[in-house]
Parts: sequence; structure tokens; C-alpha cells
Amino acid sequence: MEKIIEVRDLSYRYSEEHPLVLKEINFTVNKGEWLSIVGHNGSGKSTLAKCLNGLIIPQKGTVEVNGYDTADEQTIWEIRRLVGMVFQNPDNQFVGATVQDDVAFGMENHGLPRAVMVERLSEALRLVKMEAFAQTEPHRLSGGQKQRVAIAGIVALQPLIIIMDEATSMLDPEGRREIIQTVRDLNKKHQLTVISITHDLEEAIHSDRLLVMNDGQIVREGKPRDIFKSTDLLKKVGLDLPFAIKMRNALRAKEVPLTDSALFQEELVDELWTLHSSM
Amino acid sequence: MDITFEHVTHVYGQKTPFEKKALNDVSLHIPSGSFTSIIGHTGSGKSTLVQHINGLLKPSAGRISVGDFVIDANQKKQDLKPLREKVGYVFQYPEHQLFEETIIKDVCFGPMNFGVSDSEATKRAEESLQLVGLPAAYWHRSPFDLSGGQMRRVAIAGVLAVRPQVIILDEPTAGLDPRGREEILSLFSDLHKRLNLTIIMVTHNMSDAAIYSDQVIAMDGGKPLLADTPEEVFSHVELLRKVGLDVPETMEFLSKLLKKAGKQQVVTAFTLDDTADAVIDLLNEVKDHV
Ligand SMILES: Nc1ncnc2c1ncn2[C@@H]1O[C@H](COP(=O)(O)OP(=O)(O)OP(=O)(O)O)[C@@H](O)[C@H]1O
Ligand SMILES: Nc1ncnc2c1ncn2[C@@H]1O[C@H](COP(=O)(O)OP(=O)(O)OP(=O)(O)O)[C@@H](O)[C@H]1O
Ligand SMILES: [Mg+2]
Ligand SMILES: [Mg+2]
Repeated sequence: MEKIIEVRDLSYRYSEEHPLVLKEINFTVNKGEWLSIVGHNGSGKSTLAKCLNGLIIPQKGTVEVNGYDTADEQTIWEIRRLVGMVFQNPDNQFVGATVQDDVAFGMENHGLPRAVMVERLSEALRLVKMEAFAQTEPHRLSGGQKQRVAIAGIVALQPLIIIMDEATSMLDPEGRREIIQTVRDLNKKHQLTVISITHDLEEAIHSDRLLVMNDGQIVREGKPRDIFKSTDLLKKVGLDLPFAIKMRNALRAKEVPLTDSALFQEELVDELWTLHSSM
Repeated sequence: MDITFEHVTHVYGQKTPFEKKALNDVSLHIPSGSFTSIIGHTGSGKSTLVQHINGLLKPSAGRISVGDFVIDANQKKQDLKPLREKVGYVFQYPEHQLFEETIIKDVCFGPMNFGVSDSEATKRAEESLQLVGLPAAYWHRSPFDLSGGQMRRVAIAGVLAVRPQVIILDEPTAGLDPRGREEILSLFSDLHKRLNLTIIMVTHNMSDAAIYSDQVIAMDGGKPLLADTPEEVFSHVELLRKVGLDVPETMEFLSKLLKKAGKQQVVTAFTLDDTADAVIDLLNEVKDHV
């Protein structure tokens, strides 16, 4: 596996008066993987995300993206080109007077030729189903529409790595599914590396790998299937369990003899069905 | 305080190139002391709807009554302060309502604005911040030096401190961690039951809408499509899917199992416990028929 991001001994505080919010963080991201980051409010996820595209330079430790050090001013623009970030609050991302200008702005900054821009603009708006709003001012959009446009702005840049900081938190169920699927297609077809910060465990169980943060530290790292076996740890750090596991526990409490293998709803359905056929 | 909408229409940017009809002849009723959830596709008009309840938006046509307070499209400007004191509003993006220098000042602002003394406001602010789970170590910091979920907690505390009779929550759990969302939802559920508060919650989480509400209103294209008990609303599976909505995950799970058993029926169950019972019943039933 090819490493695309490497974080070593990273520590960060917002200022002298503030406590350390990231403490001795070490991890790597592989090219083309879908990595989810979960953790309680204030555990440091967004701060960490900002370290990955050089918006924040840690006081201690290093972050390398595709071999470039984020602390190196010579290559910071190269890093910004490689890493696209969808912010937690889309209002912090809008700069254009209309949806269309806004999506185009980033591409202009990247110096893309006009013909390419036009094509990517319509493609990106189509992917998030916001074509009809191309001429609308961003502040006239609903909360979920803003999130869609913020995603389009980054998708249009075709970055090598996309960081989504709770980018779908305000979407309706169908919208959320569609957007995640769209990003998953890019991940599969174009080897887009995805780092998704999320509180939605049903999304997190589908990732290749998961980081669990607690109070500025990474407390677990691994495959979702392994991590969600550590029920006690998750409870301790303020997290919950995915639906299938909670459902299984509720069934077990009623004497249904289930194993602890199911992570997805479909797996639990299959297990119940097999169990019933053998009864 | 009963809340009633009569033929309410809202048009943004009337007679401008951006003209957009976001509510279209809406009539509905929210009984005093009820817990109502509002669900709907992106852009279906949920935020626009609830902003009428505390006068943040004025109807282009129709009227809204909140207890004795009436807002009518044809009325001239009126003093909204008495309404705002009774109806608290937590914005979809919490940053929109934070502005003071420190968190504690921010939470004190509401009660002081409605004439509560300094010391009483501080007491209420501290209580509210404790209720939403923001540790005291943060209270004297700027509300903007916070994480997304922490800001949401402060915004909620700011509304609680005013002690309104009606609380409007526009996607209050977006950005909260799993424990936080459960704590905040049970906090509102508890206030609703204990103090008979009217709660109106916009949410994209179908399970939360099902579990906590007396009434669920499903919006579609600026109009209520369904307005009924959760049991009734979530039995319209096909209709909900057609408008970009879904059923709670408990029902989704049951429907997958029912499908395996070759059954078409819809079973409404919202809690894990009820769902487990339904699963066991179903398996027994299928077994008896083999
Ligand atoms: N601008 C800032 N100045 C000072 N402290 C900050 C600032 N932004 C965030 N913090 C603090 O840093 C810590 C980590 O915040 P961060 O935003 O990274 O958390 P998070 O894991 O993204 O949380 P959430 O799930 O709520 O978004 C928190 O304790 C927060 O209060
Ligand atoms: N200030 C505004 N000016 C013009 N149109 C607006 C304005 N605010 C919202 N709209 C439009 O009105 C419609 C309803 O918006 P509203 O914010 O009520 O939707 P919503 O149901 O809350 O959606 P979401 O789930 O995305 O928050 C949308 O199509 C939106 O684009
Ligand atoms: Mg964050
Ligand atoms: Mg809204």
C-alpha cells in the first residue's frame, strides 16, 4: 500500500493560554482508502483535519502529504491542490456571489483552463443535484442545499484527497445516501482518498479503516469490524454502537442465540434467517 | 400555547429575480404541550415554516397564531418581543446566534434582554450550560473558539436560559456526538414532559422523530404532505420514499427481514425492544407455517 499522508508526533494548541488539543498524534493514510475519524465533540477532529491541508501548522511534529511537508511554505500550494476540504460549516467556505461563481472560484485559483472549468462546473452541480440553483446567491440556500454546494466546490477541483468534515450532517436520508455513493464511486473508480469525519456510525462502518479520537489523542485505529467489538471503550469515549449491534444485543437479551459477527443490517437479517431455518 | 397556521404562504424575494415560493398555502395545528417533529427533503420548507412561529419571517399571505399572539400577512409591523420571550429558537447553524465575547455572557444575553437581573441570569446560564454538558473550564472563553458540537451546545443553552414555553429546534443534533445527541434529546423530552413545554423539532433522523414525537409533519415542496402520529406517518413507506424520506432504521430492518420471509406487510416499531419482539413474533409465525 502506498502512503499518501504521514503524521508524526503531532501536537497542537491554539495559543499559549489554551491547552493542548492534539497530543502526540501518529498515523498514516493510504492512497485510495476510505478512512473515517470518529470521536466526541471537542476531541480534536476538525483541528486535525486542518493540519492535514496545512491550514494549521503544528507546534510539534510533522505532517507530510504526498512527500511534501506542510510546514514548508514553498510547497504549501501544492498541498492545497492535492487536498480538498469540505468544512463543517459551509458558510465558512463560500466566497462567490452565486453558486456557480462559488464553485468556479476554486478552479480559477487552481488555474484551470476555461473550457475545463465549464465542464467540471456543470458536472459537479449535477452530481449534487444543484443545477437548478447555479445562479442563486449562496445565502439564499437552505441548510442542506449549502452543504451540497460546498461538496460540489471541492469535487470540481478533483483533488487527490478529499476531507469531509461532517459534510453531510444536514442532508435528508436520501440525499445523504446519494452523496456518499457519489464520493464512493470516485473513491473506487479514481482512487480518490477519502478522509471522512463523521458522527454517523452507519456511514463509518462502511469505511476501510477507522480512527477513534478521545481528548486530543487517537485511542484506537483499525477495521470497523474489529473496533466495534470494543463496546466498553466506545461507551467510555462517548460513542455509540452501530444499529445492527444494538439490535443484536436487544435480541440476545430476549434469548435469541446470536453470535457477535454481524456489523451490517443485512448480515443480521441473514443470521436470523439461518437460525430460524435450523430451529 | 396552541400554534395554528391558516393558509400561510411565504415567498422569498417577492417581485425580484430571486422570487421563490417556499411555503404554499400551509394550514396546520400544533397543540400546546405537544412534541412535534418536522421532516422533509432538503429545501422542502422546514426552516422557513418554523421561522414563522417566532416572527423571524413574516407570511406573504395567511395568518399564524401562537397562543394569543397573531401574525397576519396584512398587519403592519408589531412588537415581537413578547412573542420571542415565549418562543425560543435554536438555529440550524449555531454560529448564527452566537456573538458575545464569552460563552457565559452569550448565554446570559437572552434572559437579561427580557429583564432578568444580572445575578439571576448568571445562575440560569450556569444551569443551562451544565444541562447541555459544556464543562465550566470553557465558560469564560470566546464562543467562537469552540468545536462545532460545542457551539451547538452553547446555542441550546442560550435558549434554555430564557425559559420559554415553546422551543423550536432546527436540526438540534446535527454535529453532536452520539452521547451528546442522546443527552440533548432526552433533555428536551424531559422538559416537554415535566414542564409541559411545546417542542418543535426539525430533523433528518427518522428514528428520533418517531421516538420522541406526538405528531410528525412531513413536508414536501412547501406543503405538509402528512401530519399525524408517528405510527400513522411512518406506515406510509412508499410515499415517504417518494419524497426523499425514509422510515426509522428499526422499521427498515424489519422490512428486510419481512422481505426474506416473503411478506409485504408494514410493521411499525420504533424502539429496539419493540423491534426485537416483532422479530421474534415474525420468526415464530414463519416457523409455524412450515
Ligand atoms: N479557534 C479555537 N481557539 C481555541 N480553541 C479552539 C478553537 N477551535 C477549537 N478549539 C478547541 O479545540 C478542541 C478541539 O476542537 P475541534 O474543533 O478540533 O473538535 P472536533 O473533534 O472537531 O469536535 P466536534 O465534533 O464538536 O466538531 C476543543 O476543545 C475546542 O474547544
Ligand atoms: N433567503 C432566501 N431567499 C430565497 N430563497 C430562499 C431563502 N431561504 C431559503 N430559500 C429557498 O426556499 C426553499 C425552502 O428553504 P428552507 O430553508 O425552508 O428548506 P429546508 O426544508 O429547511 O431545507 P434543509 O433541510 O436543506 O435545511 C429552498 O428551495 C431554498 O432555496
Ligand atoms: Mg469538528
Ligand atoms: Mg433547514
